[in-house]
Amino acid sequence: MSDKQRVSRRQFLNYTLTGVGGFMAAGMLAPMVRFAIDPVLTPQAAGEFHSVAPVEEITNEPQRFEWQVEQVDAWYESKVQKTAWVYRNKDDEIVALSPICTHLGCTVGWASNQEYPNQFYCPCHGGRYTKDGVNVPGTPPTAPLPVYKTKVQENMLYLGETQSRQGA
Amino acid sequence: MQWTKRDTKQYLPEKEYVDTVLIPIISFDPASDNKMTKEAFQRELNQVFATLIEKEFKGRIFLSPEYYYLTNQHESEIPRVNQWVEHFQKQPFEHVFLFTFDAKWKKYESDLNGHLLWIPGIADGDLQSTETQSFVKEQVKQVNELIQAYW
Ligand code: FES
Repeated sequence: MSDKQRVSRRQFLNYTLTGVGGFMAAGMLAPMVRFAIDPVLTPQAAGEFHSVAPVEEITNEPQRFEWQVEQVDAWYESKVQKTAWVYRNKDDEIVALSPICTHLGCTVGWASNQEYPNQFYCPCHGGRYTKDGVNVPGTPPTAPLPVYKTKVQENMLYLGETQSRQGA
Repeated sequence: MQWTKRDTKQYLPEKEYVDTVLIPIISFDPASDNKMTKEAFQRELNQVFATLIEKEFKGRIFLSPEYYYLTNQHESEIPRVNQWVEHFQKQPFEHVFLFTFDAKWKKYESDLNGHLLWIPGIADGDLQSTETQSFVKEQVKQVNELIQAYW
């Protein structure tokens, strides 16, 4: 193979790759620009909060609240049901926990097993969490239940994204 | 778990924990004008149920692709249903549930190699209405308890 040929092939590749890269960059930038220009157009922007419940309904006992969000997942746009266990802790702060077991994703219940009236219980493999959502060692889950970001506005509780926490 | 790339990838290394499979059994007859709407509704309803059950027990239940058959052909379908069950048991799934609104399966229950989960469902309705939704939620809760009784 002559040198000249090799160079030209590399050049050719370079050109095409730059072209493809350019397209990709444009594809990535376009929505970003739209985000920046018009936040109203972007219901799925990260960090969004959804109204979940009036604050006066929140007690010291965890209660299950449900709400719906529009989720854009690649090609589908769908309504997804979200759930949280919400209560006031000893310091009167509102705590909202994700009900998704950190083991393999079943939905945990508060006090749903008679033997553990003060814990979250996972029906799938007996995973357990204390009231603050921390996993009980010796049960399958290795991390606490994620917590939702919370915000209170005009007596309504709003929940945002969940944050994972370190294992117990 | 669902029959998707993401879930099957998660399933394989954790299969010891996922010991239950739910197969939705759905009838339809594209030749029949007067059954079509009802059957389409039943199919949607079955999907709503299956998704809710799977969501509740994601880490232990595998939701199979739907099993479709032509309305009223129960007897001839039995070998094929059992073949599905057999293949799932090779994984191995210990508990196999066949989930249907078609009461006629009751008659053949003993010929089926899985647990028949027949519930009456609702004949007709609007899936978006709040009454239907709360009714379905209540029924799903009961099905969930039924499934747990087998574990
Ligand atoms: S999914 Fe909760 S303990 Fe396994």
